[in-house]
Amino acid sequence: MADEPKASRGNLQGIAMLVAIWAIVTLSVVFGLRHGLPELASDRGYLDTLYYVILGITGVAYIAFQIALGYVIWRYRGDRPGASSSHWHESHRLELTWTLGTAVILVPIVLTGLSQWNRVRAAAPDDAITVIAVGAQFQWDFQYPGADGEFGRFDPALYAIDNQIGLDESDAAATDDWVLTNQLVLPVGRPARILMRSKDVQHAFFLPNFRVKQDLVPGMTTEVWFTPTKTGSYEIACAELCGLGHYRMRAFLEVMDEADYANWLVENAPATE
Amino acid sequence: MDHHHEQSFVSKYIFSFDHKMIGKQYFTLAMTMGFIGGILAVLIRLQLGFPSRPWPFLENLFPTGMASGIMTPEFYVSLFTMHGTIMVFFLLSLLPVSGFGNFLIPLQIGARDMAFPFLNMLSFWTVVPGAIIVIISFFVEGGAAASGWTAYPPLSGIRSAIPGSGAGQTLWLVGMMFFVASFTMGGLNFVVTILNLRTKGLRLMRMPLTTWAQFVVGILGLLSFPALAAGALLLMFDRSLGTSFFLPAGIFIGDTLMPHEGGSPLLWQHLFWFLGHPEVYIIMLPAMGFTSDILATFCRRPIFGYRSMVYAIMAIGTLSFLVWGHHMFVSGMSPFLGSLFVVTTLAIAIPSAVKAFNWLFTIVKARIQFTSASLFALGVVSLFVTGGLTGIFLGTNAVDIQLHDTYFVVGHFHFIMAGAGLFGAFAAVYYWYPKMFGRMLSERLGKIHFWITFVAYYAVFFPMHYLGHSGMMRRIYDPNVYEYLAPLQPVNLFITIAAFVLFIGQLFFLWNYFVSMRRGAPAEANPWKSAGFEWSTPPKPGHGNWEGEIPEAHRWPYEYAAPGRKRDYTPQWEA
Repeated sequence: MADEPKASRGNLQGIAMLVAIWAIVTLSVVFGLRHGLPELASDRGYLDTLYYVILGITGVAYIAFQIALGYVIWRYRGDRPGASSSHWHESHRLELTWTLGTAVILVPIVLTGLSQWNRVRAAAPDDAITVIAVGAQFQWDFQYPGADGEFGRFDPALYAIDNQIGLDESDAAATDDWVLTNQLVLPVGRPARILMRSKDVQHAFFLPNFRVKQDLVPGMTTEVWFTPTKTGSYEIACAELCGLGHYRMRAFLEVMDEADYANWLVENAPATE
Repeated sequence: MDHHHEQSFVSKYIFSFDHKMIGKQYFTLAMTMGFIGGILAVLIRLQLGFPSRPWPFLENLFPTGMASGIMTPEFYVSLFTMHGTIMVFFLLSLLPVSGFGNFLIPLQIGARDMAFPFLNMLSFWTVVPGAIIVIISFFVEGGAAASGWTAYPPLSGIRSAIPGSGAGQTLWLVGMMFFVASFTMGGLNFVVTILNLRTKGLRLMRMPLTTWAQFVVGILGLLSFPALAAGALLLMFDRSLGTSFFLPAGIFIGDTLMPHEGGSPLLWQHLFWFLGHPEVYIIMLPAMGFTSDILATFCRRPIFGYRSMVYAIMAIGTLSFLVWGHHMFVSGMSPFLGSLFVVTTLAIAIPSAVKAFNWLFTIVKARIQFTSASLFALGVVSLFVTGGLTGIFLGTNAVDIQLHDTYFVVGHFHFIMAGAGLFGAFAAVYYWYPKMFGRMLSERLGKIHFWITFVAYYAVFFPMHYLGHSGMMRRIYDPNVYEYLAPLQPVNLFITIAAFVLFIGQLFFLWNYFVSMRRGAPAEANPWKSAGFEWSTPPKPGHGNWEGEIPEAHRWPYEYAAPGRKRDYTPQWEA
């Protein structure tokens, strides 16, 4: 048409869009394949399966849509020979297809996701080892219940340099409790139940290798349980902004086999009187 | 009513009642704030790309935050807190909503001005002090707020929790109150104007999708922002008057046991996200509207599935109030509640997919004219799909356990909200600039700007998904503290370099925007041969928008390529 705006000239943009979008798709997949989830060391592998299923579904949708977008931009560029546009602007069949199609794809994702959520958040098994994690700016303290299996009371009024978790020594259950700072030790193959509380602000107990993350909220006790499946030393991170030292609020989780764990308990737990 | 009398400088440029001038005032404010927010982003990336390296020249600019040239952790926390705050509220809400909403709504519906011009002026002059207060907070003792843009208490509620929680956090809260006051005035004005001031023949289902989006955004703003105002007020009481809305008993900070008791930190999260999630759509919906209008014009064909686009906007707007809990899956909230929010969250994928496919089919059988505006609109489509799909991971609570608070989230929202929102705003500026200033922007600079931005945007934000997938947390000053994150340093360096390029690319835009005001080629009344109603006004409409009678609307705004017509477009205002 004679009265075209100047801007429509130039074949280059359509081809450039095709090349750019296709290159972005290719590079994002190529570099994506180089990265994986951190090594798995717990029984929560089913979460990884769901993650990869969603990655597969969304990955196909991403590649297909972007490839199609790049193609139609090039295919329907305005300066192609004999270009004309169509007035066609409605198709109930097409619109219904992608509305229902999206819904149909989402249903199994929602259902699987919810059932796995229920599994993760179910009550811990009775044979679980229980440890209390206490988060503070910027350290982790882990309270073990000792031989009696009962945790002593804590009282915020008792927080002190030599009593980081505010343990009330006058409580009979507290006498054999002991505390590790920035180190948590668990046996392999046994469910571990971590009760969490915070002394100050919010923190999040994040075990990248165990697919575990749970916020610590002042005034509340939160809870998580999982079963370590591999021995070794793993990093514990804080995943909720907790102050200027948030980035260095790091601890270690040592997972030992049963025999080592028993020995370690004998060597490290304070003797009960 | 005579709208065309001569005005003094003050009433024309400063305390103007004219919706177009107010829109332009918002542009200037939002771009200034966006530029500052961009500098903060560059500083954040500087630290992550080169952790704790000294940059002696920066000491002159930030004597405490970068003492001896090395960034302090507390300064880093302030930087990302203020980057988020400024970008979300003062750029991505002000530019597309307050800026374009005010500028475009009357032009697109055939009104002489907004329903309440005085309220409109007041709304702008309420947000200005908010912006100034937020910027000033960098210079108070302790520095700017440092509890994230989400300001979770107790970190934000107790002054000794982090240096920024002193005066900086107070100013942040005061700034937010101004912002909320301004934004709700604007929302009220949008809704009333659109419902009451449409010209003859402009039925609701003949409105352009931009105005439809602004209509729903007005409602969202009115219903959601008061929750933030209430939360901010209660947090101020906790901080200054000794109340305990968000602060429970037993908080021990800096060797001191706090006197609070009975409050709930989760209550803040509920209040914040009750605003926070609709806010995401307050940013997104106008960008969706711009993209629809601009794609139709430059594809030279009607928008595909107009009716379903309108329903999708309404569905997204409604659902946006029912999904806030997906930010709280691992917060300690009841797991049953979490499951409910999964269903509502993933339901949003359906209207979102409708929008994406409708855009794709608008391009099919098109005759695309590649302008800076259409390129940015095509960019929105690409970014929107990329960012939307990663939302499925995060909306599924079982998968969110691993990804929550990692860079996967940062990548996700920079595509869907920030990216699509920003690209939509750029497309809109390139498209409506001729109506704003009566001059054209340079297409050459615009295309340079597009290509740098599009490629660099993907280069910055796509690799963030890899970082998150590998377990890198958000908001950490130095990831190399962790053994498992140290190998990711090359990715962080790559992102930093790409971010510098992205920032430099924006200078082309700023140059183009300000220089073209005086030097741009004079614009015709309808330079893009658009069918939309706003193009019926003179090249640079005066106060009152139309000389003489306001035209009638005879059809919808997307009448392109109608069979049997001589021209390939039939304007809305022509009989």
